[in-house]
Amino acid sequence: MNEDERKILALRFALVALLFFALAGIEGILMRLRILNQLTAFFDERHYYSMMTAHPFVGIYGWAYMAVMGAFYFLVPYVMKRDIYSKRAAYASFWLMIIGIAIIWTTTFVTHYAPLYTLYWPIPIAIELAGWHPAAIFSFGIGVTLVLAAVLVFFFNMFATIFLPVRVELNGGERLGAGYVFKELMLTAFNLDKLWAKVKGIPHYTARVFNYPVFVVAVFRGCVDTTLNAFVIGGVGLLLASFGLYHLISGDSPGFALIDPLVYKNVFWWGLDLIADGNVLIFTAGTWYLVVPLLLNRRLYGEPVVRAVILADLVVSLFVWNHHMLADTPQPLALQIQGQLFTWGELITMGLTIFAVLATIWHARPVKYSAPLKFILASMTGYAIGGLAGIIQANYAANRYFHNTQWVIGIHGHIQLIVGLSLTIFAAIYALFPLLTGKTLSERLADAHLLLMAVGGVVMGLAMGMAGTLGMLRRTLYPMGLGVYKPYMIVAVAGALMMATGFVVFLINVIRTVGLSTLIKLFLPQR
Amino acid sequence: MMYPQLVIEGVYFAIISIVMVFIIVFYILTSRARRSVESSNVHSEAGGMERGERNWMLFLFSIALIGNIVFLSPLLPSARNTLYSPEPALRVEIHVEDYKFHLPEKTIRIPAKTPVEFVVVSEDLVYGFGIFRKDGTIVFQMQVVPKPYVNRIIWVFEEPGTYDIRSTEYSGPLHPWMFVSDAIVVEEVGK
Repeated sequence: MNEDERKILALRFALVALLFFALAGIEGILMRLRILNQLTAFFDERHYYSMMTAHPFVGIYGWAYMAVMGAFYFLVPYVMKRDIYSKRAAYASFWLMIIGIAIIWTTTFVTHYAPLYTLYWPIPIAIELAGWHPAAIFSFGIGVTLVLAAVLVFFFNMFATIFLPVRVELNGGERLGAGYVFKELMLTAFNLDKLWAKVKGIPHYTARVFNYPVFVVAVFRGCVDTTLNAFVIGGVGLLLASFGLYHLISGDSPGFALIDPLVYKNVFWWGLDLIADGNVLIFTAGTWYLVVPLLLNRRLYGEPVVRAVILADLVVSLFVWNHHMLADTPQPLALQIQGQLFTWGELITMGLTIFAVLATIWHARPVKYSAPLKFILASMTGYAIGGLAGIIQANYAANRYFHNTQWVIGIHGHIQLIVGLSLTIFAAIYALFPLLTGKTLSERLADAHLLLMAVGGVVMGLAMGMAGTLGMLRRTLYPMGLGVYKPYMIVAVAGALMMATGFVVFLINVIRTVGLSTLIKLFLPQR
Repeated sequence: MMYPQLVIEGVYFAIISIVMVFIIVFYILTSRARRSVESSNVHSEAGGMERGERNWMLFLFSIALIGNIVFLSPLLPSARNTLYSPEPALRVEIHVEDYKFHLPEKTIRIPAKTPVEFVVVSEDLVYGFGIFRKDGTIVFQMQVVPKPYVNRIIWVFEEPGTYDIRSTEYSGPLHPWMFVSDAIVVEEVGK
């Protein structure tokens, strides 16, 4: 692929991601209204929960993953001055993701299949108890498998782009084998070369193959987490598809006892939480490490420390899953405490990450804040607000009060995902827009977009969180009335509408800059 | 009544207020600086940490240490009752099946300030088990992992009163109806 083809690829990913973002937003607003016991004639409880099942797949995979994939398909080759490993694989990941999400969405919409994204065994296969149709289980399982297959194809393409060829021939004709290349990769990428030099008793280690920018290190580090995640969640998709197919053919079920519910829950959360570290935290941090120094024309502050932090966070991310299971009393206490201790480790790694970015900005003052820089500053605020809430709820004792309440999904989940992650994605869009289209978006409209999304996101999240402190559960309708939670839910709707307005402002900005016809032409065959 | 979760929320709001003020001040200071500060281009090339960065890391470690000590100490009732479990004086066994709680009696009577062990067994799906005050706030909760697992928690009710039971985990579209009003009455000792 040449650079123009990569630009079109990135724009296609971005446009589809934005469509999924809009869909997730519409679902979110509808669900907020339904919680208030409005629209009851429009959709019943089964429909509500099926929408709640589709919502995170559309939001996380359709929006966040597709935006990240589009950005990295352009940025990684751009930074490394080489082509993407495979154009076919790039488009395979594009279509697999769209088809997978379309299947999940259609299945839940048509059949009202609603195991939620948590998929706790044996709820997804409770055909008689919950009233699921085996065809819905099969179809949903296929959708999940395709989505995670798309993720795996993308990561294969990223790893191949970054690391291949596995054997390197230097200018002098010397050939270095795969083992050497791998060793040097590990040493240089994570800043272990100085330690290695000390161990070997040499003045300093000189890299012969690799000298990765910290952005690329963050990309492949995030890819490690999210690849593991894809195997686990994709595996669950395959399991459900197999179960549904077996039931369709035999008319019988293998039974709940097929799988141990606690072991399943541990494996599931171990895999699922890796999205939080790989996609939500590390890909975001990588984007900050790239965009902020580029905009300020400075080196990233404390880059060697940042590289070490990226490695440290990999260790942390592999051992935090248990903070999702603090309310499971059959779980061994040692694992519960481990989950708590390692989650506090994320305060340290994320705290050092934010410090490095803020220090980079500080040393560049006076700073002219362009749209991407403002979005990144707001995003860091979102991470601080949402991350701190996450650390509080991840304590064994505090979890008795906060588990499964609106606190978890409001202050932690949605502020982290909307104000934290999504504002970073928008920062990348504002930063890349001139590179990809040759045109610049309006700064005034960008300011309005930022203000509405950041304030709306924080208002919605905090209102949900305050209702959670009062005992309002997530994943629960209150058909008998919301009681004391109602005012908070009304404020949450107001916040959601502010965000929606912000997104409309963004769309106006894009359309008036490049024109609707240009966007439509992106999906026509290119000459 | 100052419930533990409201105290935690108060501390949280105080901290995030400081964070938001800091970011606004940071934005103003960095955008309005009058002098060029090229001299402060002090990146550590040799791989070491700057003093400010080291201090910040030590601060974060300290916060993590203090946070763990506080949350693992018997300060919160939830920690006292679960990590430092007293010997239960009473045992209440509850079964859950087909989206219904099966209580040992219509209203469970419990003496205040007495350790009670709740044993909850699910015959089919994953559920939740939460006890709520009449004002809607959570007293405590746990997940209910289905058989072969048995889910146990010991709790000491400090306040006499009437409490509701609600499933705190989604288990299918009938989940919102898993609510038992006035399921527990906690009585003052001696009554």
